[in-house]
Amino acid sequence: MSDHKERLEEALSALMDGEATEMETHRLLKALEEDPQLRDRWTRYHMASSAIKGEPATTAVDYSAAIAAAIDQEPAHRKSPLTMFAGSAGRFAIAASVAMVAVLGVQQLNSPAGTSLIDNGSEISEFAGVETSTENTGPAIQFPSGFQPTINARTVSAGGNNKSSLRTTPELEFQQQAQQQFKQKYPEAELRAYLNNIMSKHSSHAALNSNQGMLPFARLSEVANDNKESAGEALSEKE
Amino acid sequence: MPVSPIQKSLKAIKLAALVAAVLLHGPLFAEQMESAHDLMARMAKATRELNYSGVFTYEHRGNLTSAKLIHEVRDGKIYERLLHMDGMQRDVVNRSDNLDCVRTGDMLLRGHAYKINNENYSRLEDFYEFHIKGDGRIADRQVSMVHVLPRDKYRYGYVVAIDKESGLLLQSVLMSHAGKPLERFQFVDISIADASAEIDSQLEGGEFDNVDQTDCVQLNRKIVSPPSMWLLNWLPPGFVLASHQSPGASGQESMMFTDGMAVFSIFIDSVQDKALPQVDAKLGATVAVLNNVEINGRQYAICVVGEIPRGTASQVASAIGLAP
Repeated sequence: MSDHKERLEEALSALMDGEATEMETHRLLKALEEDPQLRDRWTRYHMASSAIKGEPATTAVDYSAAIAAAIDQEPAHRKSPLTMFAGSAGRFAIAASVAMVAVLGVQQLNSPAGTSLIDNGSEISEFAGVETSTENTGPAIQFPSGFQPTINARTVSAGGNNKSSLRTTPELEFQQQAQQQFKQKYPEAELRAYLNNIMSKHSSHAALNSNQGMLPFARLSEVANDNKESAGEALSEKE
Repeated sequence: MPVSPIQKSLKAIKLAALVAAVLLHGPLFAEQMESAHDLMARMAKATRELNYSGVFTYEHRGNLTSAKLIHEVRDGKIYERLLHMDGMQRDVVNRSDNLDCVRTGDMLLRGHAYKINNENYSRLEDFYEFHIKGDGRIADRQVSMVHVLPRDKYRYGYVVAIDKESGLLLQSVLMSHAGKPLERFQFVDISIADASAEIDSQLEGGEFDNVDQTDCVQLNRKIVSPPSMWLLNWLPPGFVLASHQSPGASGQESMMFTDGMAVFSIFIDSVQDKALPQVDAKLGATVAVLNNVEINGRQYAICVVGEIPRGTASQVASAIGLAP
């Protein structure tokens, strides 16, 4: 799988989780237009998701092409000055892909009580298939302009199928506006230190109040290493 | 055609069998449903009350680390040690706790409903579905696999493996809404002793920090919340306050919320000289959303951290305001 494609699929799963950035969403909408495989994946995610939530699932029908064609046929639209101005199909294609999203979304809500993937025992939802899947790509990787990806590792596979677990330093992923401005005002290292400090407090909280006992402490195994000293600095500076 | 008595009785037997099957099936099904809750409750107890030591791995985004855990119960107190097994040399975490201190997350996991107010209760089963998905083997022990599915978009799901004999949690995978694993804890080796059994202590030396006991909730005691200038205008349904630290010497106020499975924390810092930037960060399965607010000429940094979807975290972060 090409890098670009992998990135897109990660973004897609982020969008599914409502975690995609604006930029990613735009990129995805564009890619969805051209890539039927990606559209299939989007449909599958929705089916898996509704299966997980116990909603009645449905075999989604992709109306986007039909809708796009219908819009093209529409004389009112064809003759609109706006279209003549913009000169064309790009606009419609975007509309169509938005329509597809909307159609899928509506389908989820309106689908008649059918068979849920989980209920009928066929374990084809991605959730159920955790143990065997080798294609898991984990959370989306997001790098704002300015930060270079420091990681070259594949994401967690629940099947324990780590293809290339190059050891890397753990990375925090930042997203923010006004990147340049922020850089001058607030050094990245200090920000990391602050977040790591907060993260370690959260983990010790979590270790008392979740089902996992002391396990959450392991989340800190790498982070605190190189930031221990700077965390102290950042805090004392703040006081 | 006349019906022979044998055929008649055969019919009766068939009917009786059908009725019996229908009657039996109901209760059997209910029992199976209930046992998933029982398993979770047993797990919550076992994690605290048993003696065990083992090595587990933590995996997120292709990174794998391992740690050794020792958990002992002596004279009504829990002693725990966590030792990171790889990477740079790090301090050992030594922690002690009173055995009878049951916290909010534990209570929810044990199947207790938490009274939010007179009309509203928080109950684990209102926010997650539990499905037993058969058996497995982890760390050379027989386990029951349980899928914990969120009922809404505000929280993630889990796949957990619970030791059949002891009830200990041997594997926990956090699942995104698209069904992708976000992080995984898993024991590779564990030895378990009964709480009452004499064990050779593996915890020689080292100072044990006794953890905060103000957030124990047994006997229907509620979390005592210190006076705070902050007010939360929105909480994801099912999450309840599990601890609240007033801004002490550090100047940092913190609150922690749980629904029994997921946990998130809110940190509020008063920032003096330079404002922290708005941040939306992710570390493994943990998200951190940092917002700045200016109130009466003072800058505050509000940070929401937890293993929850980003949308939930930012919604919480923007719902924090000044108490009237």
